[in-house]
Amino acid sequence: MTAASADPGSFRDPGSRVFIDGQRVLRAIYKRSANDYAAARDKGVLDYFISKGWLVESQEVDVASHAAGVGADHLLEHPKLPFVSYPYEWPFALHRKAALLQLDVMLEALERDFTLSDATAYNIQFLGSEPKFIDHLSLRPYVNGELWSGHRQFCMQFLNPIIMWSRLGLAPNSWFRGSLEGIAPEDLSRLLRWRDNLSLTILSHVTAQGAAQRRATETDGANVAKTGKLSKTSFKAMLLGLRDFIAKASVPTEKTVWDTYDKVNSYQTDEADKKRRFVMRMVEGCKPKLLYDLGCNTGDYSAAALEAGAEYVIGFDFDHGALERAVKRSSDGNLPYLPLWLDATNPSPAQGWNQQERRGFSDRARGDAVIALAFIHHLAIARNIPLESVVDWIMAVAPVGIIEFPPKSDPMVQRLLSRREDIFPNYTGDRFIAEIQKRGRIVEREQLSPGGRLMVWYDRS
Amino acid sequence: MRSSFIRPVALFGVYASLSSPAFAYLDAATGSIIIQAVIGAVATWIMYSKMFAAKAKAFFIRVAKGRGAQETE
Repeated sequence: MTAASADPGSFRDPGSRVFIDGQRVLRAIYKRSANDYAAARDKGVLDYFISKGWLVESQEVDVASHAAGVGADHLLEHPKLPFVSYPYEWPFALHRKAALLQLDVMLEALERDFTLSDATAYNIQFLGSEPKFIDHLSLRPYVNGELWSGHRQFCMQFLNPIIMWSRLGLAPNSWFRGSLEGIAPEDLSRLLRWRDNLSLTILSHVTAQGAAQRRATETDGANVAKTGKLSKTSFKAMLLGLRDFIAKASVPTEKTVWDTYDKVNSYQTDEADKKRRFVMRMVEGCKPKLLYDLGCNTGDYSAAALEAGAEYVIGFDFDHGALERAVKRSSDGNLPYLPLWLDATNPSPAQGWNQQERRGFSDRARGDAVIALAFIHHLAIARNIPLESVVDWIMAVAPVGIIEFPPKSDPMVQRLLSRREDIFPNYTGDRFIAEIQKRGRIVEREQLSPGGRLMVWYDRS
Repeated sequence: MRSSFIRPVALFGVYASLSSPAFAYLDAATGSIIIQAVIGAVATWIMYSKMFAAKAKAFFIRVAKGRGAQETE
C-alpha cells in the first residue's frame, strides 16, 4: 500500500482530509462527516452538481485500497486539477465567476434542503476560466431556520474584494494575500464613502455588519449563545440580493497601460507573426501538457500555443486590464486557458498555518514548457534583477521554453531606461545567450529583425 | 420610484437595528450573526417588492395591449 501524505491545506475540517499521491487526489471522510456525505450522495445532490459541471467529479474507492483510507468511513477519488490557484491570484472576472458559482451552489442546495457549511473561496478552483466547486464535504443537510454560517466568510472572501474592485477601483489581490481570510467588513467599511451606502448590499453586508462586529468586539461581558433564526425565504432572498449585486459589478473602465499593449506595442505585425510561428514550432516539437505563459498580456501567444497543441495553458500577468481581456478570450473561446495575476518580483509565497497551508508560486508552477515573451526586461531593467537570476528563475519553471530578449536599442527598453541611469552593463544579447547555455542547450534562435529582438528556444531536459 | 421608497426605509431599518444592545462575545462571526436576521428581512422585502413590481408591470402591459387591440378593431 502506498504511503499517504495529507495535503497541508486540508486540516480545517476534522470530518475529512485530502491526500495527494502523485497524480491521485483522494479524500478521506471520517465518522464525524460520514452521515452528511451519505445524505448528499443518497439524495443525488452530489451527482446533480457534478452533472451541471459545478462540482469536481468524484468516485468512491475502497477504503482499504489506499493508506489514505485508514480510519475513514469513505474514500473518494477526484481528478487532479492542472493548477491550484488562490483567490489572491484571480483577476476580477474570475473572482466574480467564483462568487456567482458559490451563490448558485448555495441556492440550488437550499432547493434540495441542503446547505454549505462554509463559504471559503479556497473551495473554488478553475478549469480554464470556468469555476469548479471542489469541496464535496461542505454540502450538508439544511436545518430549518438556521443562520447562514458562511455569511461572514462569503463577505470577506467574495463580496468585499469585489466591492473594493468595483466601487473603489482598488485591486484587492495584495490585500487578500496579506490576509488569507479576506477583507473584513469592519476594515472595508472604513474605506468606503458615504455615498457607497446608498447600495443596500453595501449598507447591510459591509457597513452594518462591520459596525455590529466592532461593537461586539468592543463590548465586554459573558458569552451569548449563537442563536438567531433566518427563514429559508429570507435566506434565499439574501443570496439572490447578493447574486444580483455581484452579477452587475464591473471594474472601472479606465484603460491600463498593458490593456492596449497588444494593439499598440512597438512590434511590427510581421514580427508578431514570426513570434507566433516560433512559439508554435516549439509547442509542436515538445507537445506540452501544461505550458506557462509568463507575462501573457491578453493571451495572444497563449492562444497560439493552444492552437499548436498545448493541452493547457496558464498565463500570468501583472496588469489587470490585460488579464480581463485574457479571461474574456478564454471564456469566449471556451479555452483550456487560465489567466492569473502575478507580480513576478514578488510571487505568491508559501503561507498560512505552518507556512504550508497555501503553497508558493515556485512550488506549484512546474510545467512542461514555458514562454516568457517581452518579459525579461521588465525584471532585469525595470526592477534591477540580475539577468542571470531572471534566466535562472524562468528556466526553473519548465525544462523546455522560449525566452525573448529585447536589446537595449529596443523602444520598450529605451522607454524603461529613459528616466534612469543605465546601470546594466551585463544586459546584452551575448550575456543572455551565455546564461541560457550554462543551464541548457539552445534548440533554435531567431532575431525578429536586424539588431532587434532575439527569440531563444532552450531545452535543459 | 420603487427604489426611492425602499431605500430610505431600509436604511433606517438597518441603522435602527444597530442601536439595540450588542451581544458580547468575541466570536469572529458575531457581527454576521447579529445582523443576519435584519439583512434577511430587508432582502425578503426587496424580493417581494420586485416580484410585486414585475407583476404590476405585466398587468399594465396586458391592459395597455388590450386597449391598443380594441382601438385598432
